[in-house]
Amino acid sequence: MMERKAPQPTRRAALKGGLALATLPLVANPARAQDRPVTKVLDFNTGADIAKAEAEGEFLFYTHDGEPAAASIVEAFGKDFPKIKGKYVRAQNGSLFSKTIAERSAGKFNVDVIQFSEPATAIDFQKRGGYTRYVSPEASGYAPEHLSNPVGDYFWVGVTFAGIAYNTDKVKAADAPKAWKDILNPLWLNGINAKQANSGMQFIQWFELRKLYGEGFWKEFAKLRPRGFDSRVQLYDRLAKGDDKVCALAEYAGYLLHKQKGAPIEFVAPADGLPASQLLNGVADKAPHPEAARLFVDWLMSNRGQAHYQNNPFLYYGSVRKDAPPMPGGTRLKDFKLLIPTDMDALMGAREAFNKEWNGMLGL
Amino acid sequence: MATDATGMPTEIAPQRLKSLQMISMAATVGVVTLFVLYPVYYLLQASFDVGGADIRPPTAYGLDNYAALTNYQAIIVNTLVVTFAATIMALTFGFLTAWILTRTNVPFQRTLEQLMVVPYYVTPLLGALAWSFLGAPESGFINQLWRHFGGEAALIDITSPMGIAWVMALFEGSVAFVMIGAVMKSMDPSLEEASQVIGGSRVRTMMRVTLPLVAPGVLGAAIFVFAEMLGSFSAALVLGTPARFYVITTAIYQLVSQYPPRMPLAAAMGVSLFAVMFLMLYAYRRITAHRSYVTISGKAFRPRVMDVGWLRWVLFAVCASYVLLSVVIPVATLIYASVQKLAVAFPLASNFTLDNFRQALSLNAVRDAMTNSIVLGLVTATLGVIITGLLAWIIQRSRLPGRGLLEYVVMFPQAVPRLVFAFGMMWAWLVFPIPIYGTFWVLLIAYLTVFMPLGVRTISSVIMQLDRSLDECGQVCGASWAYRLQTITVPLLRPGLLAAWLLIFVASVRELGASILLMGPNSKVMTPAIVEAWFSSSSELTAAMALIQTAVIAITMTIFYLLTRRSAQQEV
Repeated sequence: MMERKAPQPTRRAALKGGLALATLPLVANPARAQDRPVTKVLDFNTGADIAKAEAEGEFLFYTHDGEPAAASIVEAFGKDFPKIKGKYVRAQNGSLFSKTIAERSAGKFNVDVIQFSEPATAIDFQKRGGYTRYVSPEASGYAPEHLSNPVGDYFWVGVTFAGIAYNTDKVKAADAPKAWKDILNPLWLNGINAKQANSGMQFIQWFELRKLYGEGFWKEFAKLRPRGFDSRVQLYDRLAKGDDKVCALAEYAGYLLHKQKGAPIEFVAPADGLPASQLLNGVADKAPHPEAARLFVDWLMSNRGQAHYQNNPFLYYGSVRKDAPPMPGGTRLKDFKLLIPTDMDALMGAREAFNKEWNGMLGL
Repeated sequence: MATDATGMPTEIAPQRLKSLQMISMAATVGVVTLFVLYPVYYLLQASFDVGGADIRPPTAYGLDNYAALTNYQAIIVNTLVVTFAATIMALTFGFLTAWILTRTNVPFQRTLEQLMVVPYYVTPLLGALAWSFLGAPESGFINQLWRHFGGEAALIDITSPMGIAWVMALFEGSVAFVMIGAVMKSMDPSLEEASQVIGGSRVRTMMRVTLPLVAPGVLGAAIFVFAEMLGSFSAALVLGTPARFYVITTAIYQLVSQYPPRMPLAAAMGVSLFAVMFLMLYAYRRITAHRSYVTISGKAFRPRVMDVGWLRWVLFAVCASYVLLSVVIPVATLIYASVQKLAVAFPLASNFTLDNFRQALSLNAVRDAMTNSIVLGLVTATLGVIITGLLAWIIQRSRLPGRGLLEYVVMFPQAVPRLVFAFGMMWAWLVFPIPIYGTFWVLLIAYLTVFMPLGVRTISSVIMQLDRSLDECGQVCGASWAYRLQTITVPLLRPGLLAAWLLIFVASVRELGASILLMGPNSKVMTPAIVEAWFSSSSELTAAMALIQTAVIAITMTIFYLLTRRSAQQEV
């Protein structure tokens, strides 16, 4: 295993620090950052003009989430605002990005609010001018690191994190993995699964564990001939039925869902931390229904929207809101040691290497 | 137009007739050019794009994407192995069952004939999912039963290349059956009878008379089925991925869904498949170019069947086995899985639930999507039969310059996997001056485009059997082109047209690849929602949704069958 080097201060890091300091007053009281009047509606604050939003009557939400999840989000919002019809289009993260960029290149601006499943995509979209800067009054409920830089482009609508899971019928308690290094046990040859390279969560796990254990970690993992799938549901489905013994990217949300069904599985939270990926949501540039879009984002940022993301079985995303209630099962995000990438430049720069290594490892 | 008492035209200006024919042909060719070549242009453009990622139009062009295909040799070999194996199996199923059900006195012929097309009604995902429940090496019900009774290891492995080909063939076999069956129904049995009169055995008659006569139909079906297999996605995704076995379509899916999406490479992969199809089509045209396959002439005939004696029960068993493996067992498996929380072979009583059906029916999006799918299917099939019927006529019977080229052009949407072709259509219709992108209309155009080869292949096979003299006879009597089409050609083509309508309708309702990318918030359709459920919910919910979709298609098809039967009876 490679030794980790102590981080050296760099010019880029210093610049980033300066930028963060410059935006600090803005984040401390985000409502000040805009000239829009703030209205309290239900139990949250909005910078949107509610009358105009209702006159617009609809908004279009693009998301990476699955069909039932996307439907549940707009339906929950619709219960609070019945005069505004939420519509959605969903696709895998990469396809969603391609589709949106193609539409915008052709001068079609249909989308109001967009959500990506990984930071690299959201940052790329931001660099292309894809977001309308809107600083929600609800942003005060979030730490600065959970908002875009500059603030107002996107925010962390939820966090998903992963440990290890195993099938209790197929794996003896004594052999059960306890730490990340245990997923390299030859016992799991042809019996371990992970996600495909299209998963933002998988990218972050690769990135974070490579930082912890060096590049050799994943090369050892490749020798086990892991199987790659597109969604956490598929990973747990196979684990629950005994098709695989161990899941190397066991998202806690998927664990809760399958445990409720009575699946013979156990979740392990390795002491060295759980890789976690943020899901990023923001108002699109040239949104055709800007007030409805702002209201929807405010609602998502509020405890009402966050409660839906935390409690809906198709989502089960942890909330980073400072005052977020516990997740189902009684735990909070802060109860887990999360490994979340902080150096976005390094993360963006590593994407190509990840795609190459991961695709090759899964036989693609 | 003036007509006499019998309805025959009396005064026809030859120039006017000629122009009507030319206008129809020009309009059809225009539609094909717009629908097919317009997106193909964008697809080709993308395949040569070596500029910045996702910058449109491309900033630089080159051959890098084609050069990169050499890194995917194993995947190309996988694709060809599965495609050839599945095509051979599907054609064997299709030809054998078509011959049994149209040319022999097999018992329960009508019931079997109706059941034979059922596999085609269901989304390919349903079949793949059902066989995954049955034949997965560890959790497959068959293997669990096998181990329960003392067996070791796995009895079957449906995730192996031959397992994947088997599932693909089972569900495409019915397409081959419909296409070859339509040809066999239009065949004069006197030729087979003549063979038997001069002492030919039943098998010899089938091999030496029946098979050569239906060769265009079989070859047409072969090309279509081969292309379907080449572009097959669901079976390879559900069954191949767990075994780390990728084919071109599943590789393309991964390449376009990861960030940054590698669309240019995916486009190059898709375009390369056209080269394979081009060769297939060239071979087909060479084989059929200088031979006559006419079996429908001026001489009247009534389709008759051979008495095969006791063999009829053996043949019945062959057809029944196909129906059992492709319909009864998969549907029963899915029903069994859909009423469980976590599908296993030996569930506890507490594992049973109806929640999956409750949830599927409660999704508003699913209800809207089902209605949209049915409406789109009806419109696509009806317009599709008109357009592809005219196209087939132009290709097979007209003297239009470039009609051979038209046949290649028509095959393009079939040759390129829909996941990739959909990107070409998206780019094309996004910049089209009339704002149809994201609406119901763009899906209609997409379906008409991607199912053009299906309609043309099905109808062409029957047109090739029509004796030109029938049409010429009408011409000599002074009938216009349109009148001849209406009174001679269309009635004779009726089995082929009905088969094409049915195939296009079902293909539209179960369409996946193009719909994923082109459906808008108000034009959602069903199959992507089912695939979504498989990704994001559970196999059990997916099974429930697929069963609901199958039931809706079955009801629609029953209504269609009753209506066409009634109209046929009224005509008599």
